[in-house]
Amino acid sequence: MASTTLARYLDVKGQRIGLDPEGYLVNLDTWSPDVAHALADEDGIALTDEHWEVIEVLRNFHARFAMAPAMRPLVKAVGQSLGEDKGRSIHLMRLFPGSPAKVAARLAGLPKPTNCL
Amino acid sequence: MTSHFSSDLLVILRHGPHGSSLLRDGLDAALVAAAFGQRVSLLFMGEGVMALVDDQQPDPLGQKGTSATIEMLSMYDIEAILVEQTALELFGLTPDELMLPVRLLTGATLSTLPTSHRLVLTF
Amino acid sequence: MLLHVLNRSPATSRVYQQALTMMGEEDRLLLVEDGVQGALPQMVRHFGEVQGRLFALEEDLASRGLLGRCDASVQVVDVDGFVLLTEQAERTMSWY
Repeated sequence: MASTTLARYLDVKGQRIGLDPEGYLVNLDTWSPDVAHALADEDGIALTDEHWEVIEVLRNFHARFAMAPAMRPLVKAVGQSLGEDKGRSIHLMRLFPGSPAKVAARLAGLPKPTNCL
Repeated sequence: MTSHFSSDLLVILRHGPHGSSLLRDGLDAALVAAAFGQRVSLLFMGEGVMALVDDQQPDPLGQKGTSATIEMLSMYDIEAILVEQTALELFGLTPDELMLPVRLLTGATLSTLPTSHRLVLTF
Repeated sequence: MLLHVLNRSPATSRVYQQALTMMGEEDRLLLVEDGVQGALPQMVRHFGEVQGRLFALEEDLASRGLLGRCDASVQVVDVDGFVLLTEQAERTMSWY
């Protein structure tokens, strides 16, 4: 579940986007590609086509299952949608360094994955 | 038969959707274990079979149920979806009314499950 | 051998049937809390298939006034006996 605790605002082209203490959207409906860019800037990530296709996989996953995936199902979902070459943790680690499931979920406007500790 | 279902963790789900948080808690436990690479079997017993009925909707307060989570199980490589056949019959349900394919189990096979799994959690 | 622990009365809850379904041939069943109602002579028939492997917790029987009313086939154990049963079992499963 998305946290409903508002910790701070992100300025995106004059709009104030509410973020929770861990930087996830308070209201998932406020997501837009511009918001993704602004969140990625905070993480020092420049979004490329390879990032966007993963973000799309994540948004489809959430639309279907109402949850943000942990790493294993994320790898599986990416593999199913984008091919086995991209369905690898190393590919996702390169795109979303640190903890790909958490970082990518944040940029995709999903809640924090609940099943990865 | 025993070895066929042997696995790391057996999660027994005995409660239906929406009435309490037990079903969701049990599913969460299964997902966490699977996310850490454990092989998980789910057994739907008694009232728990109601969790599998297809065409479930959010409740009157708009709270989402557990059906999306159950559809997600295969993404976590949870493929052993076991159902107590007697419970299904108790509710007059047939396997084609369930949201995903299941394996129906009866008496003798059910009683081997606790020992064929390293750990059992009952919800 | 597993130890199954049941805390619901067979008069109000079908949970005892779930416990019986999942019990292996050597497994033992311990009745605690409201579960000890199942130790009465008129109720013990529900547990016919585990005769000789049926236990009830003395403290819970006593607090309900049922200690002297148990069926002869039920083995009454105190808390130390409960611990011993747990130690003898490979694992414990709770039915609630």
